[in-house]
Amino acid sequence: MNKIKNTFIPGIMTSLLIILGIIGWAQPAQAQGNPDEAQKMKMLQEMAPYKGYLKAHMNIPPQELLGGPLEVEITQKSGGVFVILPSKRKLDPYVFGTPQVPRALAGTPGINGLPPGVRGINNGQYTEMEKPSPFGDKNIVMGNGKLDIKAVDATATDAGKTNDEIKFMASWQDKQGNTYEVRCCGMLAAHGVEYPTFGGVVTNTVMHGSSRIGTALMPTMYTYFAFWGMGEIRKNGDVLDKPRLVHGMLTEYVRKKDYELAFDDEVTPTRKHFHLMVPPMRPEMKEQKFVHEDVKTGFKLPNGMELPFWHVMFENLEIDADRR
Amino acid sequence: MQKYNPYIISLLFVLSFLLLAFTLHYHAGSAINTQQIDSTEIAATVEMTNTMKFNPDTVIIKNGQTVQWKNSSLLAHSVTGDPSQATIKGSATLPKGADSFDSGMMDPDQTYQHTFSLPGTYQYFCIPHEGAKMYGWIIVEELSKNNHTSKIIIK
Repeated sequence: MNKIKNTFIPGIMTSLLIILGIIGWAQPAQAQGNPDEAQKMKMLQEMAPYKGYLKAHMNIPPQELLGGPLEVEITQKSGGVFVILPSKRKLDPYVFGTPQVPRALAGTPGINGLPPGVRGINNGQYTEMEKPSPFGDKNIVMGNGKLDIKAVDATATDAGKTNDEIKFMASWQDKQGNTYEVRCCGMLAAHGVEYPTFGGVVTNTVMHGSSRIGTALMPTMYTYFAFWGMGEIRKNGDVLDKPRLVHGMLTEYVRKKDYELAFDDEVTPTRKHFHLMVPPMRPEMKEQKFVHEDVKTGFKLPNGMELPFWHVMFENLEIDADRR
Repeated sequence: MQKYNPYIISLLFVLSFLLLAFTLHYHAGSAINTQQIDSTEIAATVEMTNTMKFNPDTVIIKNGQTVQWKNSSLLAHSVTGDPSQATIKGSATLPKGADSFDSGMMDPDQTYQHTFSLPGTYQYFCIPHEGAKMYGWIIVEELSKNNHTSKIIIK
């Protein structure tokens, strides 16, 4: 397996705030010159919820996983993929509550919480997010999907360094025969400040939804395997963009009929699929933060705009995992 | 010389004729059945789509007929009428005594055929898209003498 050197990606989860660039919440507030909102956002970033936890963990060696390292291999050798397009996410009352009793406000808005201002309301209930996001129902199918992951989950907790490892490659093709590819990870996210990344690779945990690990816009889901790291985006073999944050996870099945994204009570626990996410943010290593920047995917949407992120689902999987 | 009763002889002739007529009719009927239910002939084709549908989702055939599935999508699918592989109760249901069937994973453009030899309603599913409720149904009707070649497909 590809040995990844111990790496620290500063502020990676705080920088996920940039996802608000997609959902169009923070930027309009700043553009309108609303100092209160801008100041609130800055304070929220500075008060990232896991900063206290990290203070206790930054100077410790990577702590070993209970039971020892777990090796994971996941492949898709044939069949297509679902490429998720920007659309409005319906709001699950289990996760977001109601206008009278709202939930998912904790943490930094747009990361693992959602501001009330972007929640549509009808008849006293939340309806859908008022801006498109990468976490909706719309999708297209592309062919010839391939996935090859070799990973080791060795480190239990967040720390300054990690012994986790990953080698990741995914590709798929459009109708014109163009091949899109994501490779990862030159570096692993050894920790997060908004929520933990467990050394960059995690196995057997619950994420998203009400868990506050990752965006609440995805359902609460059991996650067999997940990683966060820095990788590169290619089209027809040419590197279009690097370094980009790459997040992947093998979870229980969270889509339903017509591939609509499930609410928490609609998840299918007995089937699995793999999610690849390349969000529109770029690391600024010197400042230890990320800035908003659309991913150069090279794929044009029907309206002529370039798809600004990759959110791709693989479902014809072979999975193997063993203790070392 | 023994004399025969002409009435008895006439009756025997009539009975022989009736027996012959019945025998010919019976064998002719069997021949028609054999000719018109050819299990190698494809009675209906079901396509598997990018939108995770079996199209048509319901097919009505006669007992002994064969259905073909074609993966017309870019995705990998399966045709699985095997309750032991279902993880959601009711994803696959078969008539009592019917054999299960399973295509295994089918790449784009691959085909699969199955001949149904027991009347009843079969519900099958696609393994990777069971959670997305990719279901199909085959209704296998009893063979009847008057209408044993008909097939109806409901979209």
